[in-house]
Amino acid sequence: MRRSTTHATFVIERAYPHAPAKVFAAFADLQSKTKWFGGPEEWQKASEHTLDFRVGGKESLSGGPSDGPVHTYNATYWDIVENERIVSAYEMHLDKTRISVSLATMEFKPNGSGTTFVLTEQGVFLDGYDDTGERERGTRELLNQLEVYLDQ
Amino acid sequence: MTTTTHGSFVIEGRYDATPQRVFAAWSDPVAKRAWFVEGDGWEIQSYEIDFREGGTEKSRFRPLKGEEIFGEKTIFGNETVFNEIVPNERIIFTYSMDRNGVRFSISLASAEFSAAGSGTRMVFTEHGAWFDGGDGPQMREAGWRELFDKLDQHLSKGAVA
Repeated sequence: MRRSTTHATFVIERAYPHAPAKVFAAFADLQSKTKWFGGPEEWQKASEHTLDFRVGGKESLSGGPSDGPVHTYNATYWDIVENERIVSAYEMHLDKTRISVSLATMEFKPNGSGTTFVLTEQGVFLDGYDDTGERERGTRELLNQLEVYLDQ
Repeated sequence: MTTTTHGSFVIEGRYDATPQRVFAAWSDPVAKRAWFVEGDGWEIQSYEIDFREGGTEKSRFRPLKGEEIFGEKTIFGNETVFNEIVPNERIIFTYSMDRNGVRFSISLASAEFSAAGSGTRMVFTEHGAWFDGGDGPQMREAGWRELFDKLDQHLSKGAVA
């Protein structure tokens, strides 16, 4: 096959009317994260969401539309500063094909009684799969789901 | 509050060796150690590499002039996880750097190899997050350029790997 890579970075900033500790917990605690982190509702789960939230720990989740393909997310946590910062590296697979490897930095900054949340994703997309626009749209959709969860 | 700085850089190099030989300088433990780890002015305290997808590479090294430069005995640590390995074509890896046990950067890097005439074109791309007291993307790029000069010297010696 012909190999190629596309490198890209995007940054998304959101303001949440919730304390940094609450926003951070939505990432750190599996019971919380599983309520907002995942594909569209109509997707079928292919494996249970697992999260071992510590430096060196891993997270995985897979699922997809009923007619395929299976989207698999595998992350490793590289840096955790409680209520302030999380850095993870994650791979996405479509069925058996690795389509990207990304570094994601999540920063939680106090802003009055709320939080300014900044997500920086630096990634490499492989062999023509996916594109950065699609990944950024998908990530914004996840953060919308996070917002709904936090506001409940 | 912690601070985080993000940056990216690309280094392109050409080597008078086939892609197979350049790739082998990354995959063979003895060859990799020769250009990536060993160096004048450094005491290597440990080095191990398990070159396969999901495998790790770990090193601990001490600058002999660490007290002079950093004002205290200084030990650096490097931990790498290999995300993807396509023999002779591409290596994608994630790595951290720490100083005296404190992590100061996390990076995602890719090294891509392609034939160019009788030699090899290598494109190295790094994305990183640097924390308080970290070296930052410019110093990191300079560090890799020095390493790639050593890679070039290693390949010029005509070593098999």
